[in-house]
Amino acid sequence: MSRKAYAIAIKDVLAEEMRRDDRIFIMGEDIAEQGGIFGCTRGLLEEFGESRVRNTPISEAGFMGAGVGAALAGMKPVVELMYMDFSLVAADQILNQAAKIRYMYGGKATLPLVIRGQQGIGRGNAATHSQSTEAIFMHIPGLKVAMPSTPADAAGLLRTALRDNNPIMFFEHKLLYSVKGEVPDDPDFVIPFGKANIVKEGNDVTIIATSQYVGKALTVANKLESEGICAEVIDPRTLVPFDTETVVNSVKKTGRAIVVHEAHKNAGPGAEIASLIMEEAFKYLDAPVLRLGAKACPLPFNLGLENAVVPQEEDIEKAVKSVLYK
Amino acid sequence: MATKVIMPKQGLLMTEGYITKWLISEGEKVEENQPLFEMETDKLSITIESPASGTLLKIIRGEDETVPITEIIAVIGQEGEDFSHLLTADSPAETKIDEVKAEAECAVVESNSISNEKTDRVFITPRAKMIAADKNIDYSDIIGSGPEGLIIEKDILSCEKGLVQNRNKVTPVAEKMIKENNLNANEVVGTGISGRVIKQDVLNIIKNEQSNLNNTDTQEKIVPFKGMRKVISDRMMESLHNMAQANHRMKVDMTEAVKLRKNIKESGINISYNDILIKIVSKALLEFPYMNSSLTGEGILLKDYVNMGLAVSVSNGLIVPNVKNAHKKSLEEIAAESRELIQKALNGSLSQEDYSGGTFTLSNLGMYDIDEFTAIINPPESGILAVGKVENTPVVENDTIVIKPIMTLSLTYDHRIIDGALAAQFLQRIKQLLMHPYLLL
Repeated sequence: MSRKAYAIAIKDVLAEEMRRDDRIFIMGEDIAEQGGIFGCTRGLLEEFGESRVRNTPISEAGFMGAGVGAALAGMKPVVELMYMDFSLVAADQILNQAAKIRYMYGGKATLPLVIRGQQGIGRGNAATHSQSTEAIFMHIPGLKVAMPSTPADAAGLLRTALRDNNPIMFFEHKLLYSVKGEVPDDPDFVIPFGKANIVKEGNDVTIIATSQYVGKALTVANKLESEGICAEVIDPRTLVPFDTETVVNSVKKTGRAIVVHEAHKNAGPGAEIASLIMEEAFKYLDAPVLRLGAKACPLPFNLGLENAVVPQEEDIEKAVKSVLYK
Repeated sequence: MATKVIMPKQGLLMTEGYITKWLISEGEKVEENQPLFEMETDKLSITIESPASGTLLKIIRGEDETVPITEIIAVIGQEGEDFSHLLTADSPAETKIDEVKAEAECAVVESNSISNEKTDRVFITPRAKMIAADKNIDYSDIIGSGPEGLIIEKDILSCEKGLVQNRNKVTPVAEKMIKENNLNANEVVGTGISGRVIKQDVLNIIKNEQSNLNNTDTQEKIVPFKGMRKVISDRMMESLHNMAQANHRMKVDMTEAVKLRKNIKESGINISYNDILIKIVSKALLEFPYMNSSLTGEGILLKDYVNMGLAVSVSNGLIVPNVKNAHKKSLEEIAAESRELIQKALNGSLSQEDYSGGTFTLSNLGMYDIDEFTAIINPPESGILAVGKVENTPVVENDTIVIKPIMTLSLTYDHRIIDGALAAQFLQRIKQLLMHPYLLL
């Protein structure tokens, strides 16, 4: 085990896997000399050279298309988006091409493409640089969607992604990059997709949280212990594939569930998860499943207002008490 | 051995019945074949008799509930008998059992319990319901601790430990009075044992309301629009929407018909003008087959038999049983049969057979002093004869004014398939037969 930051865990796995598999190369804006604006590729240029660590022009649709083509031709590209918001510029390449190629070629083509980058609030980057866009990619079949919440998960999930033959959306969070945690040193440490992490066990209520909200949910859950409320916190880790079994079993036990994420609540990941719970565990429910997510409002530039739009720890606490009728 | 009471099938097309009234309260004794409850289908109102003798242990589906046929609605057995197996025994799958039990318990609540909260309906979370079913707990009396009395898991668990506050109970008499007087059950404060609402509590409220009457000017109330009322409404609208209904009227000198009726009555046979009309109109219908027809998708369906419908006013609406093959029957047979049908209609004991297959309808409002009126055709028939009262009227005969018993016939017919002249000739023929009833011979 080594204690390292989330961004370093990502960089280390990239390097390890690039050493292991010379088909892997990285493309993105300012990723070479600068090492990416959050340092996730720092030092890779020196070790792997310009052919495997490539700066691109500011043309997401273009270099995403290059990534899709390279993956089809047998390479294993990692395309870094400076902000995951920019995936929308490359939406046709991702949603219409990458997601569908394996299906349209009857499974004969492989598309080992990892699209990764950071998203979310925390730096006052304003409406077009602070969104959480994972729900868009959950909606289109053919893409896997990962959202690591810890350095270890970032390492384990990224390694799995780099060894997969499918297009993968890998959502990091700008506020998590500096968070430190223990990461296994095993060069084959992987976390399978579709396996949720029960972060904390409990009997009273299930809180399903993603990305930076896993930590917030855990803080609230620990606080509520002193009030005699024992919450279970689950991090699905990947939204596609989704570990329905772990979530449903938890809800069957607790009878109450809250889904919390930074993405907009309206038609957000929580809507999908709440529906799954309702379909699979209806008669076990003792309260309606609640969703917490950003208000239906673009993310503000002002840091104070950012927090007014996304759920706060107090909101999670209030929701827990509400489903417990307290 | 407890016996199930199920929603009986009262006709080929019946799929569900609407319970209007339980005649026996829970806990009361009942004899086999004693009237047990009243119900309505889309076609009729009927009193259903008890299938067994014993105590009415549980009413599962209460008044004002619509229940699919063959579904269990009550249980009869010996007092104190455990009948829970009846609620479950037939269900092979476990989930099914839960549903039936849960539904059953819930239904009881709807009819019997009085909630302290805003609503009479009991709300319970799926989880609480599941646990209640597992532990065989009747939650109908529990006041939920969730919002608006919602019963949650905790309440069922407390109930199991005997820690829960019960809903106010209400005695059957008080409940009946609350319903009859259209009171808000939530406003009745119980003074009986453990807060049970008793007769006196309701009387007090009624007394107060009456003393307040001088202050309150007017009142409105909503009557549920369903059962027979809804069926009548649908059929009347269907009739007027789909047909080109036209109307002819004709006055008839009833001198001979009155005489005929009097003579027959003197011979000890009780007949009405309606019976004479059934006989006469049946004869005329065979001579005017289009009057006795239905317009169908395949064409105009002419019938060589007459099933004469009789519009009978009943307490909650109108029903039209018919005298089968009236064209073949003697006046005496018609009189006996129509009397029986009317009696059955008033008792609500008509079978589906009795009101199906009519070919023409007679509607008589003479007994209500109506001179003449327009009736609406009872589809799929094509005509209806509306009959007014027989009244002594001055008429001109051979240039002198004489007094004659006159009755007005009003024929509504479907002008799509019956022309005005034909309808007129049909009425003329009826008039002729009424004026010369010996032509029936």
